[in-house]
Amino acid sequence: MENEQASARWRNPLKGWQPAREVDEVPTDPWRNPVHAPGRYTVKLFAIGRLRFFHKFRAHGKRLWHRTRYWPTRRRVLDVRGGYNPKTLAAEKTIRDKRPLYWLTAFACLLALPLAVPDSAANTLYTAAAIFGIYGAINLCWMLIIGTAGVSSLATYSVVGAAAYGSAYCSIHFGMPWWALPFIGVPIGLVFGLIIALPATRLDGFYYALLTLGLNELCRTYVLQSKVFGSATGGLYGAQSYIPDSLSADGQLLLGYYASLVLLVMALALYRTINGRRLGRILRMAPEQKEAFAEACGIDYRRARIQVFLLSSMALGFIGGFYAAHFRGASPSLFSIDTVALGLAMLMIGGMQRAEGAVLGTFIVVGLHHGLVGLGPLRLILIGVIMLAVVLFLRGGLFGIKPQFRAWRDKKKSENRSTRSVKGGEMLPEEATETFDKDEIYRRRFDKQQRDFLKTLVTAQVIEEHRRQPLGQHSEALERLLMYFRRHPQQDKYAIEVLEPFKAYRIVALSGHRGVAPHDVEEKIYASTDDAYHGVFMRRVQDLLES
Amino acid sequence: MAQIKLFGYTDKITVKAGDELVFHVSADGTDTAEAQLVRLIHGDQHPDGPGFIEKEIACEVNGPWQVAKQFTQVGSFLTAEDPQGALRLDGSFTLFAFIHPTVPAWGTRQALLGRWDIQRNEGYCLGITQAGFLEFWQGDGKDIDYLKAELPLVANQWYFVAVSFDARNSQATLRQVGVGNRYNSRLGKVAPVEYDSHVRETLRFRARNQDDTPFLIAGARDWHELRGHFVGQTYCGKIDRPGVYQRVLSRDELDAIATGAVPTDDGRVCYWDTTLGYTEHGIGDTVIDIGPHGLHAQGYNRPNRAQTGWNWQGRNDCFRLAPHEYGGVDFHADAVLDCHWQETRRWRIPADLKSGVYALRLRAGPGIGLAEEYIVFFVRAATPRARIAMLMPTASYLAYANEHLSFDAQIVQAMTGQPPILAAVEMEMYKNKEFGLSTYDKYLDGQGVNLSSYRRPVLNMRPKARMSSMGITWQFPADLSIIGWLEAKGYDYEVLTDEDLHRDGAAALAPYKVVLTGTHPEYHSERMLDGLEDYVADGGRLIYTGGNGFYWVVAFRDDEPWCMEVRKLDSGMCAWRARPGEHYLATTGEKGGLWRMRGRPPQKLTGVGFISEGFEHCAPYRRMPDSYHRRADWIMRGVEGEVLGDFGLAHRGAAGIELDRYDLALGTPPHALIVASSGGHTDNYILVTEELLYAYQGLTGTQDHRIRADMVYFTAPNDGAVFATGSIAFGQALPVNNFDNNVSTVLANVVETFAKDGPLPGAAWISREKQFR
Repeated sequence: MENEQASARWRNPLKGWQPAREVDEVPTDPWRNPVHAPGRYTVKLFAIGRLRFFHKFRAHGKRLWHRTRYWPTRRRVLDVRGGYNPKTLAAEKTIRDKRPLYWLTAFACLLALPLAVPDSAANTLYTAAAIFGIYGAINLCWMLIIGTAGVSSLATYSVVGAAAYGSAYCSIHFGMPWWALPFIGVPIGLVFGLIIALPATRLDGFYYALLTLGLNELCRTYVLQSKVFGSATGGLYGAQSYIPDSLSADGQLLLGYYASLVLLVMALALYRTINGRRLGRILRMAPEQKEAFAEACGIDYRRARIQVFLLSSMALGFIGGFYAAHFRGASPSLFSIDTVALGLAMLMIGGMQRAEGAVLGTFIVVGLHHGLVGLGPLRLILIGVIMLAVVLFLRGGLFGIKPQFRAWRDKKKSENRSTRSVKGGEMLPEEATETFDKDEIYRRRFDKQQRDFLKTLVTAQVIEEHRRQPLGQHSEALERLLMYFRRHPQQDKYAIEVLEPFKAYRIVALSGHRGVAPHDVEEKIYASTDDAYHGVFMRRVQDLLES
Repeated sequence: MAQIKLFGYTDKITVKAGDELVFHVSADGTDTAEAQLVRLIHGDQHPDGPGFIEKEIACEVNGPWQVAKQFTQVGSFLTAEDPQGALRLDGSFTLFAFIHPTVPAWGTRQALLGRWDIQRNEGYCLGITQAGFLEFWQGDGKDIDYLKAELPLVANQWYFVAVSFDARNSQATLRQVGVGNRYNSRLGKVAPVEYDSHVRETLRFRARNQDDTPFLIAGARDWHELRGHFVGQTYCGKIDRPGVYQRVLSRDELDAIATGAVPTDDGRVCYWDTTLGYTEHGIGDTVIDIGPHGLHAQGYNRPNRAQTGWNWQGRNDCFRLAPHEYGGVDFHADAVLDCHWQETRRWRIPADLKSGVYALRLRAGPGIGLAEEYIVFFVRAATPRARIAMLMPTASYLAYANEHLSFDAQIVQAMTGQPPILAAVEMEMYKNKEFGLSTYDKYLDGQGVNLSSYRRPVLNMRPKARMSSMGITWQFPADLSIIGWLEAKGYDYEVLTDEDLHRDGAAALAPYKVVLTGTHPEYHSERMLDGLEDYVADGGRLIYTGGNGFYWVVAFRDDEPWCMEVRKLDSGMCAWRARPGEHYLATTGEKGGLWRMRGRPPQKLTGVGFISEGFEHCAPYRRMPDSYHRRADWIMRGVEGEVLGDFGLAHRGAAGIELDRYDLALGTPPHALIVASSGGHTDNYILVTEELLYAYQGLTGTQDHRIRADMVYFTAPNDGAVFATGSIAFGQALPVNNFDNNVSTVLANVVETFAKDGPLPGAAWISREKQFR
């Protein structure tokens, strides 16, 4: 064997044409047949193809599709995307955003709630449901402040409380009718909002949260000790209410429930208006830690934040007025630390920066807190456990489960694939079926075969042959290697950059994208083109052996 | 400070004393540049040669120039001048067109037709979204309202698209109907694709139409504070027979148009019949409107005509046979044919400026790399005096102008057998669309580039430039090696260009006794070829100092000599292939492709024609027995031994890169002599495709005897003659050893003998000739 290798020599077919310059003969390795049957897959192959879970609607084809919009916006009632099914080419439609449908369903259920409520639980349920409506509305405004504006204020409930106290006071002492209370709340909310907003321009995150918490506590202590605000009675009561006393007890409960739902819907509309339009978009450009970038883009995020903050505060004032009209007054519990804590739990559980998160979180926490009064303090522990679980295991609250699950599934998928991949990169069925151009599947198979064979051709002799003469006629082994290298796709294909003609060259790699210049590969300077050619060859050999 | 970059071009490429030359210069990072007129002698910096040689010429334009940054409009589109504002559609309207988008979803919005102002959000437009959906949009200056089709457009399919807006109820209806047939589109009937989509919505407001917004087809107006107005949202693909109505067309009416009916004139504002205007001799840039206002649309960057339309039936292959099937106007978002830069300087060529190759050298800052620019032009003699002329193949320079092969062509390393060697200026070119493409590139939509012009900086028509993919000089800088040789030999020569030959025909060459070609005169118009043929037949003497010449059919418009059209098709070594049915030049109406396929192989003119190419190795010639015959032995006078040109600046050989061979079957005159032939070409040399009927193993340099360069000599009528070297690398072998070598000797023998009056030695082959030998 040793002898045979030593004796194998390649003779240049150009010998005789150019006696002086060319390499006539070089030592080479014994010839190997490049034609091999492809090997079997080394991993088990499974039947693949996952049927889709979601219904796809057929496209309209020749029929006219009359689309309706939410007047007066340009938003279509449902965000529907048309396209071709890559597997069947069928023209089909997908509802890209099903949330409007879920909201409708949820509200239909809430509207129909009275049909399903047993008489025995009516009192508890309606009270809880009304609280859900009011707290949901408050939390939506809070979500605007924390989520959209990115201001970590914990003084939300104190704004509501201040407005509730203020409007209740007006109602009791000046005889304001119930329908005026929310509107009295608005300026109170605005003033309070202004007071809280001022430090927000100077303080960041944690310190601001502490400050607002302190403010909250200050309010609580104040109303607890203030005679004017009913320190004796444990609250300020006696305001006018929209619920007429003449109504039956059940009627009163029902009216309170539906009124709270209306309040919730109004808060949702506000959330959508601010978050989904210009202000919200501006603020999404300027998330925390990236303010400088937004500013450099010409976005005045501070102004937008203050605007959102003030608008939300006015809305909170409105809700405070409604609160007073609903409960016929206000209680110091609005300022208590556990209200703030529960409110925070509501936001966290549902998921930040989304309306549905605020509403669902409120639903769960209020449901547990007010619906299961029988459990006593245990229910608080339960809420704590849920909150802890959400914080520990979920990235974006309950509504973040879907993207989080998908990300996890994709991660697992790629992990599985990497354990199952065939060495050398041949495609497995699960990857192949997702490849648009099926030609690529075969190219990869061929490429793998090719590389497996070419690796056996890389020897010191071949490298030495290339070093002696990078261009020109080569032995079969070297020629095969070079031909393979030259046909590499453009992306990351090696090229040479001339720094100074005939003096200095450097290896770069092509981008493979129109208009994108090649990128540097190494700093080494080659003194001649032949040296640079050989440098490229050595890199390519190395890449081949490593692949 | 920004990096200093200088780029420029001239309005003409060939001038004579008294002509006025306009320079257009763009500068980055500087507002002055030092100008110096130079005569170019040699351009190849290869250490085996004499290096770069220029001669500074005193001249009034030398000195500091004020220069500024200039901008280039990229993309082709049509503008309809509309002074009366007929297209200010303030009431109900309908827009429609047939379209064939080539890359509907390339991530950029593409406008099809409309009066849209991108910067102000004003007007209306029918276009294609970033994701490839047909969409109608209109704006009132603040807001934009959209109506999108249900299904995305499939690339390379023909569609009829229309939008109508009903001003009474603000309803807009968008329609998209597939009109593919068995021939005109990529997919056929068997692909189960539903193309149609009809969507209606009530829009919120009406468009606000400003007076000055232009109506554009395949673009929309945009604005930039440094640049002013320009056109953005340019489109890739074809548009056929677009129209505008000032009323809502019913579905039946639209269906009728979509099936080929001519639209009625009831409410018609414009109907651009793209099939009108074809003549036997091609078509121009005007698209005719048969509507009441006659708002003919003008092309910018030459939207491609003579392309198949939506109703092409596959039977007729030329617009001359069926103009009504050739309504396709082809647009490309990255087309650049004229930079239209502001004039930087104007200069009248002085009477005493000797004919030659000149450049205006501009330098700023460091004065090297991108801070140095040579704006090349050719000065011909106002009154020819010399006996020798060098015909600079400017048509071929155009073909390769700013080629991107190293970057974009995956096959190029396999073809040239080496990794490319990229210079800074090429990287700069690759990063900027403003420099345009060559006929060796494809537009971003994959269609071949069939037009090229010199009214843009041609960065490889520069001294010192090298062809990155091949590691050698190419075209202009390679031809400077012949210029350098003429200078070194002290011959009295004058320079003229393909443009002069095209314009004046044989008359341009007639004053000269000898004409030398460049190293690679590959592209020829019919008039150029006729001129050369007549010149030789009338007694002229042609030295074809190159390889792969007289190959592609090209055409120029008489009034736009800076722009050349070529269509690559069927057979031949080509970077792309024209689509079926699009094989005739829009410029002249003649068939494109190879001259060989039109009955004029290069062998008929020069005795040799293209046989093979390879780019990593060159070989020497060896004398052939014919060179000892007394008819031709004078060619080898002073040559020792049999081997010629085993040296050269192009891979160390005089025979290589592209090779031409003698072939009686293709019209080499039967009395032609092969005085030398090359041999020993590597397997990187492969037989050209037009020679192939079946491809089989062994069609490479070491195994096929046809792969060689033939040095051929023959006499022509009236004491004319042709000497052909059959190799591109020949010219680059001349400068070796300071122009003193056996290849130089051979060429000098031929030039000196050809330059003499009277019959050539041994031409008549009678005994009387002994007296002068």
